[in-house]
Amino acid sequence: MSELDTWVIATTLIFGYILLVLLLGLFANRRLTVNMEDFFLYGRKAGFVVMYLTVVATYHSAFAFLGSGGFFYTHGIGFWDAGTWTVLVGIITYVLGSRIWALGKRFGYVTPADLLSDFYESDAVRVVVAIVSVIFTILYIQVQAQGLGYIISVASDNRISFELGSLILLVVAAIYLAAGGLRAVYWNDVVQGIWMYIAIWLGALVLTYKLFGSPLELWRRVSVERPDLLTLPGPEGFFTPGMWVGMAVSLCGVMFMPQMMIRFYTAASDRTIKWLGATTPIYLVSLYVPAAFVGLGGALALPDLEVADQIFPELLFRHASPWLTGAILAGAAAAAMSTLDSILHANMTVLTRDIYQKYIRTNASQAHYVWVGRAFVAALLVIGYILSVTSSDYLVTLVSISGSGALQLAPGICGVCFPSRRLLTRTGVLSGLTIGLLTLFWALVLSPHPFGVHGSIWALVVNTLVTVVVSRYTRPPSAETVWRIHGEIERFVYGKSSVEASRQDSTSI
Amino acid sequence: MIPDKKEYPSFQSHFWPRTRNGRLGLFALVGLFALVEPPLLYLLGHRIEPWILGVPFMYAYLSAVYVALIGVLIWIQRQGV
Repeated sequence: MSELDTWVIATTLIFGYILLVLLLGLFANRRLTVNMEDFFLYGRKAGFVVMYLTVVATYHSAFAFLGSGGFFYTHGIGFWDAGTWTVLVGIITYVLGSRIWALGKRFGYVTPADLLSDFYESDAVRVVVAIVSVIFTILYIQVQAQGLGYIISVASDNRISFELGSLILLVVAAIYLAAGGLRAVYWNDVVQGIWMYIAIWLGALVLTYKLFGSPLELWRRVSVERPDLLTLPGPEGFFTPGMWVGMAVSLCGVMFMPQMMIRFYTAASDRTIKWLGATTPIYLVSLYVPAAFVGLGGALALPDLEVADQIFPELLFRHASPWLTGAILAGAAAAAMSTLDSILHANMTVLTRDIYQKYIRTNASQAHYVWVGRAFVAALLVIGYILSVTSSDYLVTLVSISGSGALQLAPGICGVCFPSRRLLTRTGVLSGLTIGLLTLFWALVLSPHPFGVHGSIWALVVNTLVTVVVSRYTRPPSAETVWRIHGEIERFVYGKSSVEASRQDSTSI
Repeated sequence: MIPDKKEYPSFQSHFWPRTRNGRLGLFALVGLFALVEPPLLYLLGHRIEPWILGVPFMYAYLSAVYVALIGVLIWIQRQGV
């Protein structure tokens, strides 16, 4: 079949996929009840299957589909470190997610800032957390928009420009989000989560068998022709011990981004969240197995590629059938869109709830806030598009920066979710966050990864130390708030009797 | 002014599990993580040979530990920890 046919089929399939997601958005709109719980939180009734697929599809994005292949291509087996952070994602979901769910259900939280500002009794905490959440997730919008641009420009053989491709897919995600709220996002994530998983496995296996005969022969050839790809720190010396640990820590920082934390609030039960934590690593880790085939195989088959992140689409275009190429590239678009829609939703929710509803118009109708949310989606779309076309970088690097930034919220969140006799305070949390972000700027931008240790580790350590030390000498939240929130966590984890026992201890002192 | 500590709850720290299964799960997770992080990773897993089931040793080593970590997580959930 000619090259012309390939791009026509690939592009047609992607546009077919776009039509499907728009239709799902329309159906979701028909089920929408115009109130904030339903529009922003799916009515807090998402079951296991929907939660599973939306969490994995949101976590794995253009970065998993394109960036991971690019990383294996450039740095070799070191990227199998991915298993570490995906298992950490499961642990964070199990331990932290279930506690966040319990507090959200009990106190009606909608955003991460709701949780933090309630415990630390501080509007400043709300505003700072909202700003940090939005700034670092906007970087993530950029990642997805760039991924979508790559996909559509490669699929169309550069007949649709990178810029136009980004714009089309950003607009589509914004339309179905505005139409159906989080329900539309979740329904699309279910389709996208299944599609992207099948697509990456199918594409990688087809390419591996076609180019090398079998996966085992691929490994053998890599060991003969590029043994530097099979050891640490890799051909470019990237995976030093410090970077190995740092990548794992910074990339599980994605779990502290608002799009992931808001998901915890939406589950129907704590059992859903715990099963999610125990089983999501199966999907998340296994998605990187075919990525290794693509990246390592690509390093042998197409060694001089200018943009490493394009290795998967480039190989497909050269070696797979047009129909398969189209279906898989649509899967790649699904991977990017399933994350993009969730980020747009999270930012919309944070801006509407934490800024507009709290400080601009406090007593408007539910319908009014839903429409304000839609307006924020339009604004975010414009910002994300401008960022995606004015800056270019490796997808994994961008993800790492945004994950590292969101990770700085971890000490404050742990202070809420893990009762302890040493309480964290609002002054401690704000100081730690500020100094942690400054440290991150130094260790990621001014002097990247000092002494071979990833910038996120430096920032997290400094942030935690400052938070704990300052908290020792400043005023904690009121006893009433600590009883209310830590008491709820104690009851959730260890039962009502444990709370009563502690109350008796306290009164007998 | 730091308020009177007596007014506050005295919950045991949630950073340390209170049940036997909780502690077992924690030790298993930390121990397995140690195997895939420096320095144990470099001491035990950082080599190409011997090949295991047709893949380089390091890839097989890491994969086995990841499977074990997931197994522990599922065990923890089934124990209701």
